[in-house]
Amino acid sequence: MKKILTITFIVFAVFIPLIFRTRPSLVYFINLSLIYAIAAQGLNLLMGIGGQISLGHAAFMAIGGYTSAILVMKFHTPFLLALIAGIALSCIFGLIVGFPSLRLKGFYLAIATMALGSVVTDAIRRLEITGGDYGLANIPSPQIFKFEFSSNFTQFYLILVLFLFTTWITRNFIRSKSGMALRAMRDSETGAVSLGINIANYKLLAFIISSAFAGLAGVLYAHSVTYLNASNFGLSFSIDLLAITIIGGLGTLWGSLLGAILWVLVRNFLSLAHLEVYAGIFFGIILIVIILFMPRGLSEIILRVKLLNRKKATT
Amino acid sequence: MFSLFFRGLATGSIYSLTAVGIVLILSTTNVMNFAQGDMGMILAFIAFVLLMSKMPYIVAVIVIIIIGIILGYFLEKGIMSRIRKTSHIAMVMITLALTMIFEGIVGIFVQTPLLFPAAIPGPPVILKGVVMDRQDLLSLGAALFVVTTLFLALYRTKIGIASRSLAEDEYAAKLMGIPVKNIYIFIWSTSFGLAGLAGIMVAPRLSLEPTFMVVVQLKAFIAAVLGGMNSVVGAVIGGLLLGVIENFVSFYIPQIKDSFSLILVVIVLLFLPQGLFGKKETRRA
Repeated sequence: MKKILTITFIVFAVFIPLIFRTRPSLVYFINLSLIYAIAAQGLNLLMGIGGQISLGHAAFMAIGGYTSAILVMKFHTPFLLALIAGIALSCIFGLIVGFPSLRLKGFYLAIATMALGSVVTDAIRRLEITGGDYGLANIPSPQIFKFEFSSNFTQFYLILVLFLFTTWITRNFIRSKSGMALRAMRDSETGAVSLGINIANYKLLAFIISSAFAGLAGVLYAHSVTYLNASNFGLSFSIDLLAITIIGGLGTLWGSLLGAILWVLVRNFLSLAHLEVYAGIFFGIILIVIILFMPRGLSEIILRVKLLNRKKATT
Repeated sequence: MFSLFFRGLATGSIYSLTAVGIVLILSTTNVMNFAQGDMGMILAFIAFVLLMSKMPYIVAVIVIIIIGIILGYFLEKGIMSRIRKTSHIAMVMITLALTMIFEGIVGIFVQTPLLFPAAIPGPPVILKGVVMDRQDLLSLGAALFVVTTLFLALYRTKIGIASRSLAEDEYAAKLMGIPVKNIYIFIWSTSFGLAGLAGIMVAPRLSLEPTFMVVVQLKAFIAAVLGGMNSVVGAVIGGLLLGVIENFVSFYIPQIKDSFSLILVVIVLLFLPQGLFGKKETRRA
């Protein structure tokens, strides 16, 4: 059943550019949703299994995006290398804040990443190479071995493949030894420790993977939106990413995509109606409602339908 | 030199006020309250509206604290008590959702930063060569007053002692017949009130905009880490210390002014994980 759903999703997704052939701007929004979904997938992994919160994922996106954009624009590095460099740098920063804070019980990671977030945006504003307050504009589109992903349609396939890749990694991580160890810890910390599980290392691993996802999302954002500005990657965007993850459904594989699509759609709908200021209130209220009544977010709707079917089948 | 020290102390007093609220909530309810800053922000905004409608300053402050206490009551009664048993992440996410809502509400009315009036305007006081801003003096005094009152409340009154016992061991507290639900309400109300006071103290130094408390809140969290996350004394001293260190650092080594907070957090977590005054129970996981 699950496999069929996944396959239909992929087949449907492959045809999306053909369906919306005449509406490139719509595909642009789909691309944006997929990019946010990649970052949210990282948070999903960190929160759903690691039981930790990061308030710095926007900063990791900024690190990835700026690294790659600067490498490509100022040093003419090939896109693939710049992509890897962007991801690597976010991993390093992830290690720097993750190592000291994840050895302790409690949400110290949230504090450390919040500090990282403010430092990163301040540094980007201050440095010259990042364009300071003006940001970076006209970032070239991604190019892999002479093939340039110049249109929204070609970019869609690139982003889709990478999104599926991150989902696949998430799925495998949950089922791997590390994932099992973390789930054991989430259910009973004393039990996990007495089995000789070194929790801190697994949490750190989950966090580094999750910051790598955010870095990847940042690189893709930089090269498909073609414009970067520090003010877009502040604390509030980190909170938005958390909201996307929870609204979509924590601990579910497709939840982050659902959340990201909803976020992008509502955002753009509101900005068409010149009501952007209400977006924060709207998502804040949705978030509270979801936490109170639907612990598994929007995915719960699908889940409930499935359960209903199963009940019918048994009776 | 002393002026710098004093200025740092005054900044630190604001961090202390915010950090005390955070630590109070964390030690009793086990929730890291990321809305502490924005709770103050929205109350400062209400205070601004009240002041603009010609309400005397002192009355406005009292009204704000009362509004804060009422909001704290509804927050605990309406939302927090419902999900206490589900998960910690859910409760932390609620506080983040609150920041979105509060910043959104104020963002509707405040598009450009507003100038918040000072409580006691006038030239700075100069005492033996130490320059002291009037607003700074006031916030330092207010912080001292509030912290002393809070201490008396926590150590001398019945409800204060009950709250501390709850922080110590929730299960045992329940067995002792302590009305846990009422204590939670007391804690959230107190913290909300404290947040309002901190907001009014900060607003004249910065300017009133939806995100003006975000930096203060970050510093307050660092102060709490420095002081040990579960100690009210630690939060107060951590806040003052952070204010002073930060002022000296930004004066003598301005290059690392921005990254200073991150460096401090990493160092403290690496070498002093339980903070200056924290109990040893924050063991390594």
